Amino acid sequence: MNRLSSVLVGALIAVMILLNGTLAQAIGNYTAAVIIHLVGLIGIIIILRVKKSRIKYYKSVPKYAYTAGLIGVMPIIFNNIGFNVLGVSLTLALGMFGQSLASIVVDHYGLLGMPVVKFNQKKIVGLGIIMVGMVIMTVF
Amino acid sequence: MLLFAIITSTLTGALIVITRIFNFKMADKMGLFEGASINYIGGLLGSMLLALLLVRPSKLDFGGIPLWAYLGGLFGIAIVVLSSYLTKRVSSFYLTLLIFLGQLITGILLDWLVEGYLSIPKIIGGALVLIGFIYNLYVDHIEEENERKQAA
Repeated sequence: MNRLSSVLVGALIAVMILLNGTLAQAIGNYTAAVIIHLVGLIGIIIILRVKKSRIKYYKSVPKYAYTAGLIGVMPIIFNNIGFNVLGVSLTLALGMFGQSLASIVVDHYGLLGMPVVKFNQKKIVGLGIIMVGMVIMTVF
Repeated sequence: MLLFAIITSTLTGALIVITRIFNFKMADKMGLFEGASINYIGGLLGSMLLALLLVRPSKLDFGGIPLWAYLGGLFGIAIVVLSSYLTKRVSSFYLTLLIFLGQLITGILLDWLVEGYLSIPKIIGGALVLIGFIYNLYVDHIEEENERKQAA
């Protein structure tokens, strides 16, 4: 059941790309980004009200972590561009590839306070296969 | 435009890794929804600033947009909630793999829906992408297992 739910998370991500991309196509990318965040924030506020939860400021949370949302604007705008030019599947494949590369760099150097995990060169094989797959998806 | 979209889509993945770490650091102390609220407030402020600078209000036309297209933000919440629930219950190997699998299969099906035809190269290419990921996740998995054995 949990494994099926994991697949569902991926499906939700793909559907979200379609919804956000459709909105961006209709109303423009920047206006769409405002609406997407507004709808999300309204949803969160409703959940917080139901939970009767209050937001407190925690000193132990590193200051830079608060910029997550600000940085997160770009992926949403970039995904909308991707959807309109590349379609859903290729946009997602490239995003996953970017995630892999970034995770490798973050782990190898232990950036952002994460534990160091050195790069295993065997993974070049996998990255190569991924790139071949993406070229086939793009070119043909 | 194709090359630009390829670069921004790849960059998206890198930015997602960074925001995921930041969001985790907030959620860890504040709670999942409390952290997410800060995330959405930041996102709303950032996107409003961009829209104010770059959008001419006279060009806005909300007519003819289907209601479902507005629901992406809610999907975002569902994804955050469900994946944080699963993080504690499914090993990171399977979680990452199954999320990728779900993304690719659904992505190919949605492209079929939008474009009106099922692209065989996208299925073949998508399968290769998945094989590449499985291989690399497996390499990580083996490495972790070995470290665990050494520690024990």
